[in-house]
Amino acid sequence: MTTARASDREGPTDAAEVEALIPVLRRVVRARVGSHPQAEDLVQETLARVLAARERIEPGMLEPYAIATARNVVASLWRQGDRAVRNAHRLFDPGRPDGADDVVIATEQTAAVGRALAQLSEDERRLLLAHEVTGQDTRSLAEAADSTAGAVAARLKRIRARLRVEYLLALDDVEPPSDRCRAVLVALSGADRRRQDELDTERHLLECPLCARLSEPLVERGPVRSDEAHVPIAEAADIVTARHRARELAARAGFDGVDLTLIATAVSEMARNIVRFADNGEVSVRLLDRPRRGIRVIVRDTGPGIPDVDRALQDGYSTDEGLGLGLPGARRLMDEFLVESSQGNGTTVKMTKWIKRG
Amino acid sequence: MNTGPALVSILRQGSTLVASIHTALNDTEMVRFQQDLIRQIGEHRARGVIIDVAALDVLDSFASRTLRAVAEMARLRGASTVVVGIQPEVAYAMVELGTGGDALTTALDLEDGLALLADLGQSGPARG
Ligand SMILES: [Zn+2]
Repeated sequence: MTTARASDREGPTDAAEVEALIPVLRRVVRARVGSHPQAEDLVQETLARVLAARERIEPGMLEPYAIATARNVVASLWRQGDRAVRNAHRLFDPGRPDGADDVVIATEQTAAVGRALAQLSEDERRLLLAHEVTGQDTRSLAEAADSTAGAVAARLKRIRARLRVEYLLALDDVEPPSDRCRAVLVALSGADRRRQDELDTERHLLECPLCARLSEPLVERGPVRSDEAHVPIAEAADIVTARHRARELAARAGFDGVDLTLIATAVSEMARNIVRFADNGEVSVRLLDRPRRGIRVIVRDTGPGIPDVDRALQDGYSTDEGLGLGLPGARRLMDEFLVESSQGNGTTVKMTKWIKRG
Repeated sequence: MNTGPALVSILRQGSTLVASIHTALNDTEMVRFQQDLIRQIGEHRARGVIIDVAALDVLDSFASRTLRAVAEMARLRGASTVVVGIQPEVAYAMVELGTGGDALTTALDLEDGLALLADLGQSGPARG
């Protein structure tokens, strides 16, 4: 320790003492803005102000003075962006805080909004704020950008989807563990069905606990779909839930009683594989319109995988015990049956049944 | 009985036990039902067992295997088992699935099941 405490000295605080404050100021600033790109700038600005004022600082008061200054510097940053930030809040309604921690939560949310906005490009931020804060409509924005109102609206929708994702990441103060995560979360946030299928977001959610958790508030926002169901599978009771949900949806699509039972039986067989051989999995059911009415059941797990799918699909092999149990039987119950599996990477079974032309 | 009245009931009629499954059972409940039934066959010295599965939404490979196991254990303890109430669509699914084998003795409904047990000479008033 080369710096003495200010209280030990008679004269004015010197620069070395001010520099020794950097760690505590970083803590103060980061506690308020997290990994905001401007965090280090705020620390430096605080130091500059403290240095400029050092003649006036009472001995012993250097640290409290510096901390108070850091708070003011952070506050002024928020005041600058205040209008944009306050309005940006409306874009995705992070939920109204209640209870005794109101102020802390509100502050954290504001900081997270700021950090989320900082993740957008300059262009995106300008477009979003012009629309949401200044209130410019998509047509005038399109004219300015030599584009169409529809294209601008689509772009705004994508930007909002990204902002929601960045907001949740900022609020949690986490960096996603894989390259896929952001893409998956944005596809969910934007309710972009085609992109979700491309990315196989459902499998990613099974494998990535962070995205699984963050996806909940994102998916809740989307329209509730009456033509699909997702059932997490972990224990015996979930098998019954999955086959009931599949049956309900299939009944709505117009399947007859025999087909309802065939579908429910196939779901029951495949869901049981998850309970027996994998830690974790899900059954997702979706109604189809094209090329005709039907139902698709996708059964995913994060289990050890089936080493030889072709063999497992043969009758008489693995029908009693072991991985791939019941695959040949379930295949006979459905019209289309596809198994993707590799050792260590889990298994996906896609099975489809079409309504017979009557 | 651990299963509770809402899921299954096991009633004694003379030397016959009539076990009715009232709702879809999950695997754990199915195994518990199997254990309760086997225990009661011993307690009541039953000679015949009827299992009514009319309320089951599916008879998948696990449920079929469990029923077969019950019938086999009952046989070893001197009782005959008849499964009644398999719904037509459930029967169809069992055949497609490959679990519709001939190891189970079945009858259309409870009445036919009791008649079948009588034919097998294993129904009627309790002996002794
Ligand atoms: Zn992820």
